[in-house]
Amino acid sequence: MSLITNVMDHSLDDGYAEAAARRAAQGEAGGLPKTLRAKLGLAAGLVLTALVVTVGAAQARIAAPVVAKERQELIDRIDRETADADRLESDVDKLRDDVDTRRRAALRRSGGGSEADLVGVLSGASAVHGPGIKLVVNDAKEASAGGDGSNPRETSGFSDTGRVRDRDMQRVVNGLWASGAEAVSINGQRLTALSAIRAAGDAILVDNRPLVPPYTVLAVGDGQRLSTRFQDSADGLYLHALEENFGIRATISTEGDVRVPSAPSVIVRTAQPNAEKTEKGTS
Amino acid sequence: MIAVLGLIVGVVAGLLVRPEVPAVVEPYLPIAVVAALDAVFGGLRAMLDGIFDDKVFVVSFLSNVVVAALIVFLGDKLGVGAQLSTGVVVVLGIRIFSNAAAIRRHVFRA
Repeated sequence: MSLITNVMDHSLDDGYAEAAARRAAQGEAGGLPKTLRAKLGLAAGLVLTALVVTVGAAQARIAAPVVAKERQELIDRIDRETADADRLESDVDKLRDDVDTRRRAALRRSGGGSEADLVGVLSGASAVHGPGIKLVVNDAKEASAGGDGSNPRETSGFSDTGRVRDRDMQRVVNGLWASGAEAVSINGQRLTALSAIRAAGDAILVDNRPLVPPYTVLAVGDGQRLSTRFQDSADGLYLHALEENFGIRATISTEGDVRVPSAPSVIVRTAQPNAEKTEKGTS
Repeated sequence: MIAVLGLIVGVVAGLLVRPEVPAVVEPYLPIAVVAALDAVFGGLRAMLDGIFDDKVFVVSFLSNVVVAALIVFLGDKLGVGAQLSTGVVVVLGIRIFSNAAAIRRHVFRA
């Protein structure tokens, strides 16, 4: 506090008092300068002072709009680039549709016909619909209650039970394939021969896109039979065990018409078809 | 009279010439302005107290500006520029306030 008190007490430069004392000792009068030289010196000082203050004010007035302008320019650039990206994305979508129709037409011309459609269905390139089942898998109640970040210690890592894991979804999907499903999607993500279901932290990723519970699995297949076969299979029993032991919620229902979307892109970059048609498996 | 003329010349020069402030000096301009205001209020109060001295005024003004800019420059180099400029502004602000209060007492007798 003494520092502040010192500043408060000595707000006037001590030099003035000293100069006054000196002058008093020499018998001169204080106050404004009398000689021309002193007056000029004072004027020079005032010129400097006024200059500094004026330039400072002018600079502040110039700088403020410049900063605002730069900000606006950045915002404009972001908007422009975002619009560009949107346009390019719609271009990609349009071209993909184009490629799709052309491929279908070409395959039909070369005698593919129903075979081309079959390839499209099997590869996931075309959207399909038909009878099937809808399987909704969700975390246990307690797990999702803790998942809102109220206690990060409980939700971090893989320690807490009652949470649906990537391997659970893998088994469920595997079981569906094994039970005769012809097309499967999870939360609107079509599964293709190249799809991977994996985990990153707490999230389940399908084709590198994170999913949010509840996980809705749509499978096109022979409705009731598919459902029964799945529930009787090892993977169906596994899911049932998860329900029983960890409180994971799963509901399975037979649907008359299930719509499974097409995969966003079916691209093979390096693999070449072999001359003698040997089968290669991807897992 | 000459002093008042100097003041006007300074303001007009600052407005007309609009000196291009070098980018190196720019961060120290606000601090320099506060230091200049401190010197001006100090000089005004000394004048009213009847102990004004032109040499003290000019020297205090110059040293105020230079020292304030130097402290901020040093702070920038050390990575505490913002804190040090706050310190300079606080000290000079207190001085300006108490000098203004003294001037007010002189002018209004209150």
